[in-house]
Amino acid sequence: MDSTLFIVQLINGLQYGLLLFLIASGLTLVFGVMGILNLAHGSMFMVGAYLAWYFVQQTGSFAFSAVISAVIALLIGFLVERTLIRQLYRRNHLDQVLLTIGMIFVFNALQGLLWGNDPLGVDVPQALSASIPLAGIIEYPVYRIFVAVFCVVVAGVMYYVISKTRLGMLIRAGESNREMVECLGIDISRLYTIVFAIGVMLSAVAGVVAAPISSIVPGMGEHILITCFVVVVIGGMGSIKGAFIGALMVGLVDTFASVLVPELSSMMIYIFMAFILLLKPQGLFSS
Amino acid sequence: MLLNKRAERLFVWIFFPLALLMPMFLEQNEYYVNKLTTIMILSIFVMSLDYLVGKCGLITLGHAMFYGLGGYIFVMIAPEYEAVNFWIYTFYICAISATVAFVIGFLVLRTNGIYMIMITLAFAQMTFYYFSDSIDFGGTDGVFVYVKPETSIFGLSLFDLDNPTHFYYLCLFSLFNTLLFFKVLIRSRFGRLVDAIHENPGRTVALGYNIFIYRLVSYVVASALGAYAGYLFTLQYGFVNPSMLSWTTSGTALVMSILGGMGSIYGAILGTLVYEGLHYSLEHLTEHWLLFMGGLIILMVMVFKKGIAGFLEDLLEKRDGK
Repeated sequence: MDSTLFIVQLINGLQYGLLLFLIASGLTLVFGVMGILNLAHGSMFMVGAYLAWYFVQQTGSFAFSAVISAVIALLIGFLVERTLIRQLYRRNHLDQVLLTIGMIFVFNALQGLLWGNDPLGVDVPQALSASIPLAGIIEYPVYRIFVAVFCVVVAGVMYYVISKTRLGMLIRAGESNREMVECLGIDISRLYTIVFAIGVMLSAVAGVVAAPISSIVPGMGEHILITCFVVVVIGGMGSIKGAFIGALMVGLVDTFASVLVPELSSMMIYIFMAFILLLKPQGLFSS
Repeated sequence: MLLNKRAERLFVWIFFPLALLMPMFLEQNEYYVNKLTTIMILSIFVMSLDYLVGKCGLITLGHAMFYGLGGYIFVMIAPEYEAVNFWIYTFYICAISATVAFVIGFLVLRTNGIYMIMITLAFAQMTFYYFSDSIDFGGTDGVFVYVKPETSIFGLSLFDLDNPTHFYYLCLFSLFNTLLFFKVLIRSRFGRLVDAIHENPGRTVALGYNIFIYRLVSYVVASALGAYAGYLFTLQYGFVNPSMLSWTTSGTALVMSILGGMGSIYGAILGTLVYEGLHYSLEHLTEHWLLFMGGLIILMVMVFKKGIAGFLEDLLEKRDGK
């Protein structure tokens, strides 16, 4: 592999990894704070992508479509937490698995009902449709770089919120001892609603930004869900830092595997995860 | 007494006699006989998962790996155009998949909880991609089985596998034996230790037991039975393909098992029946069956806290005024 190809793959891998982080962070946040295993998390990625497509069709503006999709996702998260997830805090993980699989079915059915099952695509927004030359010969699309930068910014904001603000303090407190937080007079159920809605929104926003660079197809949610589980398990369930490192690793492994060992490419991230788990059965950054 | 719950006795006494007579009512309708056969095969698969998850507390999302392997091992070792002996190949398939489970179990059982869910998924996904990317095994199309095995034992051939009714009885017989096997296993000393490990692993270790061995044996046994179910499925439809190995197969089996009532063993049949029954009837009623299916699953989680089996048990106990 020559150096140009290497650099392109490196950027591709990082960009994919950062996108994975956006989805995985919500998954790991919800698990870490609330102890909820949300299998329908990937469905929100799908919902985000479809919403982006729908609003771009209606309004023609990608930015507007992104904002309105995020707001809708936030509302869905709020409603789902208040009506369904709330019932399951005192139940075991298996009931959560069952409930969230039921939710996957509902989301998939609604997707088929509202938008059909044909693959769809969203155009790259005009302002970001250019390409920049990279190492002389190869052109690299600006939009992909925008996605990477956007994800880094979101990661930065999350870091700031969690380590510096009052909400972040409550999240961290809720993670380590929920009874104590309740005893201090904090309304933990409101905190849970906020965390769940934000987690869902992160996944949907990832779906929105991914829409122009991937085809929007039924089943995209399940595929990304499994990849994100790999990410959070490598990083350690519940750890945002772990999700970040895990996402970058998975992004790079997946991208380079498809170039270096194409015959094993779809297996590689699972081999990688199995390897990590055999060394560290609790993931890299488990608490 | 092997069946210790009233609901369980009631179910077994209703289900098996009814299942035994069913082909007589359905004589003219091959479609329904095949449908019920598939439900029984799935029940065996779900039951082995139920033992693993509900009884041993070993949650796996990779059980479909063995379901698929059951079929793939058969097409790997059996000659393509020659009828082999069903019973001998049952032994081969169980032995080979048990060996695979033994090796993987060694790695998988080092982890627990969510990490075990993920590492079992990882192995299943590797197998899935191995077979779906492989040219030798037909990629995503899978492999066809042209000749079904014959079932003679000591020169006596009981079942003709090309006859749907015969195949139905073979699967019913297998399901009954699987239920019996697990019931006996659970009553045995081994089963009590499995219970103890599930209840409190730390204390069982303190009592001087090597819990790893018990878990490993359970994992191997359940996996071999899962493979047997996959083998039956392959024979029924005459093909094996990677979708049998996909994580959604594991997920659906888990849903059936939770629906039936985790750890109740007979609940696996209940869960499979209800799930497949709903699937079938909703699919025929509406194009958007998935929506109702999802809604019903959500509703059932809310209503049945211990699955359908738990609900029935509570119902019967309440009636007795206990």
